[in-house]
Amino acid sequence: MSVRRCNGSAGHLRRFIVFRMSVVALTVAAWSVPYGIEAAPPEHGPDHPPQDSQLPDRFVVKSSPVDPARIQQVSASAQEIDRLVNLNLMKHGIQPNPDVTDEQFVRRIYLDITGTIPSYQQTREFLDSRHPDRRQALIDELLGSDGYASHYFNYWADVLRYIDYLTRNVWGEPYRQWIKQSLAENKPWDRIVSEMITAEGRVWDDPAAGYFQRDAGMPLDNMSNTVRVFLGTQIGCAQCHDHPFDRWTQQEFYQMTAFTYSMVTRAHPRDERFYTTDPVTRLTEEYFVSNPPQETRQTNYLRMREIIGANMNLVNDQIGRELRLPHDYAYSNGKPHQVIKPQTMLGKPADLAPGEPPRRAFARWLTSKDNPRFALVIANRLWKQAFGRGQIEPVDDLTDETVAENPELMVFLEAEMKRLNFDMKEYLRILFNTQAYQRQASTENVTAADQYHFPGPLLRRMTAEQVWDSLLTLALVDPYRFRELPSTKRSELLTADLNTATPESILAAADSYVKNVSRKQGEREKPYRYRGVLMGRASELPSPVEAGHFLRTFGQSDRQLISASSQAASVPQVLYLFNGPLAQLILEKGSALNQNLAQTHTAEEAAQTIFLSILNRLPDPDETRLTVDEITQTEAASYGNVIWALLNTHEFLFIQ
Amino acid sequence: MKDILPQLNDFDRRAFVAASARMAFGVGLLPALESAVAAAPEATGGKAKRLVYLFMAGAMSHLDTFDLKPGHENQGETRPIATSVPGMQVSHFLPMLSQHFDKLTVIRSMNTPTGAHLPGEYLMRTSYEQIATTQHPTIGPWIQRLKGRQNRTLPDTVLISTPVTHPGAGFMEPAYSPLPIGDPNRGLENTKSPTEVTDREFDRRMSLVNRFNLQFRRKFKSQDVQAYSDFYGQTIDMLASEEFRAFDLNLESEEDRDRYGRNQFGQGCLLARRLIENNVRCVEVSFDGWDMHRDIYSGELLPARTRVMDRAVSNLLTDLSTKGLLDETLVVLATEFGRSPVMNENAGRDHHPAAYSICLAGGGIAGGRYYGKSDAAAHRVDEDGVLPADLNATIATALGLPLTTTIMSPDGRPFKVAHDGVPIAAIL
Repeated sequence: MSVRRCNGSAGHLRRFIVFRMSVVALTVAAWSVPYGIEAAPPEHGPDHPPQDSQLPDRFVVKSSPVDPARIQQVSASAQEIDRLVNLNLMKHGIQPNPDVTDEQFVRRIYLDITGTIPSYQQTREFLDSRHPDRRQALIDELLGSDGYASHYFNYWADVLRYIDYLTRNVWGEPYRQWIKQSLAENKPWDRIVSEMITAEGRVWDDPAAGYFQRDAGMPLDNMSNTVRVFLGTQIGCAQCHDHPFDRWTQQEFYQMTAFTYSMVTRAHPRDERFYTTDPVTRLTEEYFVSNPPQETRQTNYLRMREIIGANMNLVNDQIGRELRLPHDYAYSNGKPHQVIKPQTMLGKPADLAPGEPPRRAFARWLTSKDNPRFALVIANRLWKQAFGRGQIEPVDDLTDETVAENPELMVFLEAEMKRLNFDMKEYLRILFNTQAYQRQASTENVTAADQYHFPGPLLRRMTAEQVWDSLLTLALVDPYRFRELPSTKRSELLTADLNTATPESILAAADSYVKNVSRKQGEREKPYRYRGVLMGRASELPSPVEAGHFLRTFGQSDRQLISASSQAASVPQVLYLFNGPLAQLILEKGSALNQNLAQTHTAEEAAQTIFLSILNRLPDPDETRLTVDEITQTEAASYGNVIWALLNTHEFLFIQ
Repeated sequence: MKDILPQLNDFDRRAFVAASARMAFGVGLLPALESAVAAAPEATGGKAKRLVYLFMAGAMSHLDTFDLKPGHENQGETRPIATSVPGMQVSHFLPMLSQHFDKLTVIRSMNTPTGAHLPGEYLMRTSYEQIATTQHPTIGPWIQRLKGRQNRTLPDTVLISTPVTHPGAGFMEPAYSPLPIGDPNRGLENTKSPTEVTDREFDRRMSLVNRFNLQFRRKFKSQDVQAYSDFYGQTIDMLASEEFRAFDLNLESEEDRDRYGRNQFGQGCLLARRLIENNVRCVEVSFDGWDMHRDIYSGELLPARTRVMDRAVSNLLTDLSTKGLLDETLVVLATEFGRSPVMNENAGRDHHPAAYSICLAGGGIAGGRYYGKSDAAAHRVDEDGVLPADLNATIATALGLPLTTTIMSPDGRPFKVAHDGVPIAAIL
């Protein structure tokens, strides 16, 4: 701890100097680019390694690459998918779409894997390459990059309804960072889910415990969510009565909930497994006996209670805690208040071991390759991520009658997911290497009611996070520079052994936390704010972001309900693109785009740079002429109109 | 073109810029909107011309607000208080609203088939069950579709603080789409360019956009792409007219803003009033946080939510009434279902679709009465059950909308404004 402090203060001093320099830079630049631009060299060459030691503490994932040696199997699997897709197209008498150009590919693959358009340099590098395997190599590179975790965190945060305050005093950061790191290191999906279902302890001891804390006190709802998210099945209706449209009964719902019912999210103060004496009573007494000063008496007491409460929010099992049918249970197969034993609703029974918390058996059953829906659901979800539509729609409302659009293909996809032992990067790697994926997006209008046979991916509007992150790529030289604070910053200070803690030690920790973490937040974020808006990747911003934020306006969910984001158009979105701070930042002198433009020598070259940056393609001859005219006819700030216009094209917002 | 611009006066020039910009986006080809304004059919019946729909998201406990069961073991900590109408009582958490009961009809016999939030909200807002193959329109777009557009510049429907899952115009064309406002305090943002942009320059930018858009728009026939063309058109119209000031709460007095409560819902209700005064036809304000599974009576839950609601809704009713707008404006206070009468082991209440309460005021609805009843335990409907579609049929009838008119979705399926709902004749 003391060593850390020591390093911290030295780092702080250096930070201070950098900050001062950026102030100077800012005054010179009239306004107003965050030092993310001013202080960073245009590119990190060998002479300019990124100087992480100067940066504030940041949580950065460690990403695992895919294995180059496995590429042959990837190609073989991709070919089998293509055979099945083509067979299906023939059956329906449909011509496949033409293949994508390299320009279309580079834009789409960056968006699909890293959630942002490629930078100018990345676009150029790919388009200049003549290597025959360049697409394959780029897929591998991107799957190993931090952008993958960033993009897929946004996806799962929507599905899992991730929020930063899981309950009033359970902070979500450890869970959030665990999700990111699990994705980055490519933890298999069955293990991720199993860790969530079997987690024990406080969220900073075992971050996967965040999954249960999100639904603290709502065991029935939590089971409904678990079954919907991981088994793609909706049993919510059966919570109160037999399901009207599906076969699930209220009793089956209760039998499923019985698996997790002995799990609770708070420790009881008189639970001898954790506490020698009731810590709430002991610390409260000690606090008031010490006769604290009148003016801070009540506030300090509440602060102390809050930290005690936070430390007692620990997921644990109270074996023997029984679930009973509700008092108004109305069916003949059970009586009101009857005790319900755990039983699985589909597939095989769970192998309950005596003395073991039933949720462990449940986790094994849930994530097993024998579970009839677990692998199917994740295989279908990821297919949808790549192609814009599931083989099965919706992805989380399966019934016994559900038939995939292409049943043979769905069988193969599910088998692949199992063969790969739930390796999500490898599965996506296969999908992205198919010819089917590397076809152009369909041009006709496809509604939710239409059958779609996948002659290519669907045209999609970018998600809110993709629009935001793409604009950030155009604005900032290093858009990944701002990162969230490591969760340990908070938990190291606020963790307490409630058997030995004293009121003084708890309040001292609280003071230290306020001084070293919460009061520093403004200072930490200040350099990254432009017109008051924090310019970091969507995955680094608070969840949920405030109402009216760019992300919410473009359809990010408020994270109250499962998969509740939207890609629909609206007037405020247009206004953001007309006049919003992010569009304005791109027009600033120091923006990434303008720095790249500063290296160009002719108007034609500038036209190419602008198009390659924003739309990741070269302008056609007409567009070049128009752009050159515009640049040469107008006075200063001559690129502004063209940049502004391209940001306001439909082409920018959509993924072809 | 460049020659004409300086000769136009300010208003004409703005109109010209708007017109040329709209052409640039192909927005002139927006038949739905244009013809709807021209050919508005006559409204028959129904006193209400406008609608304010207040949605308590997460499911508001009926036992703790409008359907008390004093003396019953289920009642919990909530006590009844008298209201402005003899014989009617309300929760002690709603002292201000108690003085408006002469304006309110309270329906205590709502019930719904679903106890899940999203499907429940969806059913309340559309009268249809949520399905995967289409999205049903909500009431505002239905009014515009059946009665024609009321406001030439501002959208007919504005949604304040609603979730992005709000079904909006559903399958109807983008011209019917509501305008969403995330935070009423911030209103409609980014209406001003941060740098000086002359009308001429704006026009120039727009013609560039038009040209750069050509290839893509020709290639992709998707409705989602067309939607952006339409919204660019709407945005440009609104900016040219400057009517967007209707969204600016800074133009209200500090005193008025305080009166409604300095919170999102309070300011949302104030903005709703302001928009209604500016001839917007339908405003929905959503207020979440009613999902109280745990410690329902702890300070930040029921007491805090009801305090905010009580103040905001009371002031809205007072102002609409004082300004003479309440007779023509129907105000609905709704939620997706009720909360379980029996408290759970965490001192909270769970989901309860079998019985719940909602309120109506203004727009020709009689005040000072109850409709329907729940049983002694507030558990099930005792008499005159009302389903979400019935409530919507009642709202639609109050607004003079034909319940039997069928509108076809693009895939050729027939839909009605309130599905198969039956209006409650007794309160109309």
